[in-house]
Amino acid sequence: MSTLLQPAPPGVIEELGAGPRRRTRGVWRVLGYLALAVAAVAVLLPFYWMIMSSLKTNNDVFTIPIKWWPDEPVWSNYADIWAKSDMTTWLRNTVLLSAAVTLLQVFTGSFAAYGFAKVRFPGRDVLFLAYIGTLAVPWQSYMIPQFVMMSKFHLTDTLWSIIALQAFGPIGVFLMKQYYESVPDELIDAARIDGMSEYGIYRRIMLPLSVPALASLTLITLVTTWNDYLGPLLYLRSPDLWTIQLGLKSFINQYNAEHALIMTGSVLSVLPIVVIFLLGQRYFVEGVATTGLKG
Amino acid sequence: MKRSIAAALGAATAISLVLTGCSGDGDSGSGSGSNTLTLAGWSLATTPEFKTLVDGFRAVNPDVTIELKEYDAANYDTQMIADLAAGKAPDIYVQKTLKNFYTYQTGKQLLDVSDVAGKLGSTVAGLPTYQVEGKTYAIPYRQDSWVLYWNKALFAQAGVKPPDGSWTWDDYVTAAKDVTTKLKAKGSKAVGAYQHTWQSTVQGFALAQSSGADLTSADFAFLKPYYERSVDLQTAGAQVSFGDATTNKLTYQAQFGKQQAAMMVMGTWYMATLRSQQEKGDADKFEWGIAPAPQQTKATTGTSATPVTFADPTGLGINPAIGEGKVETAKQFLAYAAGPEAAKALAAIAITPADTTAVKDSFFTISGVPTDDLSKFTFASHDTKPENPVGKYTAPLQNILNDLHSAVLSGSKPIDAAITEAQDRAKNEVIGK
Amino acid sequence: MTTSHVAGRRRGRLVWRNTAVGWSFLLPNFAGFAILTLVPVVLLFYYSFTEWNIFGGSTWSGTANFRQLWNDSSFWTALRNTFYYAVFHIPLTIAVSLSLALLLNRKLRGVAFFRTVAFFPYITSIVAIAQIWNMLFSPGYGPVNEILRAIGVDNPPGWTTSADWSMPAVIIVGTWRDMGYYMLLFLAGLQTIRAELYEAATVDGAGPWQRFRAVTLPGLRPTTFFITVLLTINSFKIFDLILVMTDGGPGQSTLVLSQYIFQKGFEENQYGYASAVSIVLFAICFLVTIVQFLVNKRRDTA
Repeated sequence: MSTLLQPAPPGVIEELGAGPRRRTRGVWRVLGYLALAVAAVAVLLPFYWMIMSSLKTNNDVFTIPIKWWPDEPVWSNYADIWAKSDMTTWLRNTVLLSAAVTLLQVFTGSFAAYGFAKVRFPGRDVLFLAYIGTLAVPWQSYMIPQFVMMSKFHLTDTLWSIIALQAFGPIGVFLMKQYYESVPDELIDAARIDGMSEYGIYRRIMLPLSVPALASLTLITLVTTWNDYLGPLLYLRSPDLWTIQLGLKSFINQYNAEHALIMTGSVLSVLPIVVIFLLGQRYFVEGVATTGLKG
Repeated sequence: MKRSIAAALGAATAISLVLTGCSGDGDSGSGSGSNTLTLAGWSLATTPEFKTLVDGFRAVNPDVTIELKEYDAANYDTQMIADLAAGKAPDIYVQKTLKNFYTYQTGKQLLDVSDVAGKLGSTVAGLPTYQVEGKTYAIPYRQDSWVLYWNKALFAQAGVKPPDGSWTWDDYVTAAKDVTTKLKAKGSKAVGAYQHTWQSTVQGFALAQSSGADLTSADFAFLKPYYERSVDLQTAGAQVSFGDATTNKLTYQAQFGKQQAAMMVMGTWYMATLRSQQEKGDADKFEWGIAPAPQQTKATTGTSATPVTFADPTGLGINPAIGEGKVETAKQFLAYAAGPEAAKALAAIAITPADTTAVKDSFFTISGVPTDDLSKFTFASHDTKPENPVGKYTAPLQNILNDLHSAVLSGSKPIDAAITEAQDRAKNEVIGK
Repeated sequence: MTTSHVAGRRRGRLVWRNTAVGWSFLLPNFAGFAILTLVPVVLLFYYSFTEWNIFGGSTWSGTANFRQLWNDSSFWTALRNTFYYAVFHIPLTIAVSLSLALLLNRKLRGVAFFRTVAFFPYITSIVAIAQIWNMLFSPGYGPVNEILRAIGVDNPPGWTTSADWSMPAVIIVGTWRDMGYYMLLFLAGLQTIRAELYEAATVDGAGPWQRFRAVTLPGLRPTTFFITVLLTINSFKIFDLILVMTDGGPGQSTLVLSQYIFQKGFEENQYGYASAVSIVLFAICFLVTIVQFLVNKRRDTA
């Protein structure tokens, strides 16, 4: 089982772009790094601009020609936003929501995905299409009927509304189902013959095998919930329930045309995600190697 | 199995139809006693007008409590539509834009307040805007209007004759070009004028000042001279081009406040912003003034005439879901907000009330507001037409005209072709359908 | 007779058992999904056949909304633009994100950093993205046109200020923003490919390109299917990026269906009509998805 599930050693794929000879390989590697460096600059430019703008005065943010460097860094923007706003509450709410939504999404999503991928029963494919189908409807077009329903359940203006809104989305089911489908059926049949129940197979075989997919789903759900603005905007009115996105935008609105503060807020709201990503990204690649060996 | 899914879906639909169908009976979001009202507002910490109104009203009626419910400034109407649909909206809510007034009024989300309107003085501007078939559905408490801001320092530096209230748009174009050339000769990078990217900066004036102009006629020829002047200014370099302004997301506060342009047409709300930005150092410190917006013909220029300009009023309406016992109190509040007492209180925080005659002197005692005679004249006398005349077709027509705006000013389409296209679209997609 | 009867009953019991087990897996997610998403979406179908002003009352109007759509030239413009975006954005994004995933799926020093960096466009605020790209594309002052002029292009495009070039500009930025997201999904997919398949292919004398064709691509198929469907749907629903970059302009050159739905519903108060447009958008996405689904299934059994 362990050999069956070992991932491709990184070197194998690496060869895709490299010749067999060592020297050409070195040249390719340098070129590869160069390409990556250029790409990294292109990718990081807006982020760099965001940080620089957060240190400018308001009327210096949008100018012709663009200013790449503040005349004199306005560090007080960061102090201002902490002092004037209710950042701690917003952060607490957002962390709470992100954790709850991610947990529910990853658990119920991967659970349902197993049903879709590995249990055969009539109507399964139709049901699955219904899941994907709702993805194809833009949220703006049904958000008001949804809001009216939620208010009948007395969920509006509570954190529950956001959990309910985000936790049962179809993306998790879809992603995990596709991943499970790449796990060979023989493996599961073997476990069934060994007398393992479907729930046991899910817990003991599928979950450990799908660490990279679970990690992706966790990260994607986390980012989506963290950055969601329209959902909280529609559902949360009381200031003590605001999330970081909602709080920041409304704070910005209050201070008419404080463009530098918008950027200060954006930087602050992105930072936690960056940290989580840096800590968690190794699971997408390396995590599976260890799990594979253990299995 | 398939059949049972269909059945389940059908049942779910039926249930939800019942659920959403009877949303009208919802409990109104108000507090307990008949003396407690709820009022919608936005950005409460920095938009003091709502608290000013509430405090002023409570000074006269101390037994009434008014709770403010905070909404998001940029998405006020989306949130309000959701709350009204769910029956959770406050008793009194603000008509932030005139475009959405139509939505609320035709959706039966506004109580008839004609009796309040009948008792108001004739000096309250913007009132007729809220009348539909002889009935009034909202009461204005604030009425901005578009004026010409000008930078006294830059005009002095250029040595160009400043605005004096006698300008037509042609005078404005000449002055803008003049200032640009002379400032350039002196090594300054500032230009004559800044025109913000909104469609109203061109179309608002065209609609208000052209005789016989009517959106619903689907005849948009009246826009032509206004666009020709605007294109002329940007080709001449006397005004930042539309493309550069949109791609660089320029803000009008920075363009005028940082002295990038010597003139700018903008609404009177900018006075409060500019004043506070100058105080805080976000804007440069320079002398500025306001002058009447340039006119189409000489007939409406000069300080003996009333200059024609535009802007939408901001009003208060009553949610029909309000408890019956509270309607009278709510109406009293509306009457107060439009009256002279509230006007004075609003003017003290640099807001242009609906009744400007009541405050035409007191407004200019606020620090940082220009005090020259022309500014005072501009503030007090104007014939302000609505930017979005209330009607079924206004919103879709404005969307079509917004496409025309970006097409013409970006140089993607010549004005004549753009007008023809807009007229065709108006006839086929809006009025004729 | 009796044996087949027993076999039939046993198969029936098996089906019943599987159904019960299957549903027990689905239920935790499906319950939330059905109540909160499926029901409002089904309602939307109903509203598309009504005249509806959002405040309670909707009156049945039959197919009037759809007939009106047929003659609405703005709708067709929006539809055309949406296809324009999707047709270019989908293959471009798949190519770029797959290449990135292959490039970053190795143990090299610094690769962890690049993996993180590639994800940045997805988490950076959309305001910053729009601002920086609009500035880069700025016809007069932007670096993009400066480079083009330097390499001898006399009349560089006006990008977001030109009716012809605004959509290509949006497509470029859309691809740039989405590549990290899909790269992540491809990375997860690459982990499912078994190492000995590569070893066997190497032993058989396959070069890197052949190994990619014979091992990587087939191994990635479930992931590619997921990504294609998701990307297709998201491309047809494109909204926020257009809103901040061009707001549909200049003219109607970048008006897309989602934006049209928002305009008709929230700006023009025609929710019934907006619902009808949503249904069309839904139908397109759904048809494309079903085709992808069937193709995928046939390949599975083949």
